[in-house]
Amino acid sequence: MTEKLLTAEQIGHLRHFDNLSRQQTNDWSLMQGKATGQDDFGGYRFQLAYMTYALAVTHLHRLPAAPGLFQPTMQRLIDKILLPEVWMYWRDTSQGGAPFNAHLSDSLHEEWDPVVRDNIMYSAYVQSMALLHDHLFDSDRYAAPGSLALEHWSFFWGGEAKRFEYDRETLNDHIYWQMVQNGYLGVACEPNCVFQICNQPAILGFRLHDLITGGNRADEVTAGYERAWADFGKLDENGHYSMLVLEDSKTVLPNAAPAPWADAWCGTLMNMWNRDFVHANYPRQVAGFLRPGPDDTLSVTPSPPMEAAGRQSDNDSCDFGWVTVWASEMGDERTLEGLLAHADRFMQPTWRDGGLYYPRNDTVTDDDGNVTLVEPMAGNVLLGYARLNVPDGMWGLYNSRRDSSRSDQPVLTAVERDIDVSQAEVVDGVLYARLQRTRAVPGEGTVTISHVAGRGRWTVLADEQPVARIDGITVTPEPGPFAKTVHINGDQVVLSCTENPHTFTFRQDR
Amino acid sequence: MTSLDQPSFSLVDHDGRPVTENTYQGRWQLVFFGFTHCKVVCPRALRRLSSVLDELGETADRLQPLYISVDPERDTPDVLREFLRPYPRYTGLTGSVDAVEQAKQEFRVFARRKYDPTDPDGYSVPHTAITYLLSPEGKYAAHFLDSITEAEMTVSLRTILAKTGAP
Repeated sequence: MTEKLLTAEQIGHLRHFDNLSRQQTNDWSLMQGKATGQDDFGGYRFQLAYMTYALAVTHLHRLPAAPGLFQPTMQRLIDKILLPEVWMYWRDTSQGGAPFNAHLSDSLHEEWDPVVRDNIMYSAYVQSMALLHDHLFDSDRYAAPGSLALEHWSFFWGGEAKRFEYDRETLNDHIYWQMVQNGYLGVACEPNCVFQICNQPAILGFRLHDLITGGNRADEVTAGYERAWADFGKLDENGHYSMLVLEDSKTVLPNAAPAPWADAWCGTLMNMWNRDFVHANYPRQVAGFLRPGPDDTLSVTPSPPMEAAGRQSDNDSCDFGWVTVWASEMGDERTLEGLLAHADRFMQPTWRDGGLYYPRNDTVTDDDGNVTLVEPMAGNVLLGYARLNVPDGMWGLYNSRRDSSRSDQPVLTAVERDIDVSQAEVVDGVLYARLQRTRAVPGEGTVTISHVAGRGRWTVLADEQPVARIDGITVTPEPGPFAKTVHINGDQVVLSCTENPHTFTFRQDR
Repeated sequence: MTSLDQPSFSLVDHDGRPVTENTYQGRWQLVFFGFTHCKVVCPRALRRLSSVLDELGETADRLQPLYISVDPERDTPDVLREFLRPYPRYTGLTGSVDAVEQAKQEFRVFARRKYDPTDPDGYSVPHTAITYLLSPEGKYAAHFLDSITEAEMTVSLRTILAKTGAP
């Protein structure tokens, strides 16, 4: 059984993810960073993707019996990453012109389809998010043709609608063949720039596809990746993760600064398939980034702005947030606690509609020199991700199996918005669910439990006291304060929850 | 757009005859890309594929093995024909640099010249070691990795071809 219940903070992060997923179309409140045109590492696509990854590790490792809590949120996040506001930057970025590809801009053209060539920092997130959904929920939702449709049409310009239809199979296949064609070095982000970091999500996608279909593309790709990067070095000469390879000149660019975000992001993701390597390098790499603060707090010195062509690019780099996630993935509890303590002390933790986040703050330090910089990616997503993650959480996800046993076990298949779930797991066939209703958001206050009604005789307990017996589809409540808690609706059990937390247990009578 | 679909090419075979993807339609095509100076991957793959074809017996008659060079500057038709003499089931294909490049694009093949001091010409051409299976209509049907065993490949080919009534 899980040792710990989710804390109020962890529940708050989950609720914040859910709140953001529920914002109306093109309402990106709290998510806007300082870069223009979704051009940097804090763009909406990254926030949407890493909320999904955080939900995935939380569901898998902490609340495995609550698919109904996670699945709708993930679907909404996937809906959002398909919106043109998220991917239309590619129409411009595909044409090159950046310092690394300016010489190629004459040969490049405006490309509307955001996944057809390069742009792995978008396509791999769509791929891996869809496959995560279908893997975790034993679903074929995104196998349907056209289920991943990218469409833009404007009444005012641009002529006919642009529409590009994919699904988990065609998109995975497309990215796979790009990977093959590039000798497994990876698929480029911006033209000519193959980043290590941005190819890790694609590898996750291949693995998930293998888990669903029984293939072995992830093993093929990672073996090829090792061979391809052996020519350049996954690590640069200073022991940090090499940033990228320029395709045409075969020049590798190191993490020269070194930038904390680059090591942390790459290390977090690569851990899923290269755990020993990542763990072996972590202590030395992270040591240079951490800065001790008061009362055992730790912070991360922000990397300097990128400079190119005589200009500074002031982007959301998310150093603090990524190092925090990295520490959580490495199981480095002391560092994780120190960083989260710093965030709670200096980064204005804020509760909004029952959700917890750290609001954007462009001021790098306070008057005492404490880091206060918070990018939306860090404040909305990464700090929550770190708090929800478990040691080797991504590794565990990569090495998970498709769980078809859910069809035989009691699980929470629908969770009303106003319910906090701090425990949901099945141990030896017994469901344990700790539930509490909140008034911070609207909702009906109910949770639906499947695979109980119509499946023999069950005893339902609340805080270890019997509150109802279920025989087939008949429920017999025990007199007392929970007499109206358990209902049967068709073949579903519906629990009505209160503002006091209770642990409900569903035990089948043998 | 999203997968191999129906790759096309316009090359010459090891007897100097012009060939395209239409030349071999009506037979299953087993396509491997390589170069004659290859020391390890190509000889291993060609031996394995030849053994698989032997094992398939009559079924192999429905297959046309093709070996497409990724090193057209050295791999002339004569060079290819000589190189493939130990693997008589194979037809070698080569062409101009542009024609080979186009074929590589169609099959999503990676191959890039690399400095190699052990080679007499000073370079080798690391390449994708995938064997492609195209249907008699020239459509992508499957591909096999270099790590596949003879037995696994034999079973796979039998299974795929059996679905279309092969002996």
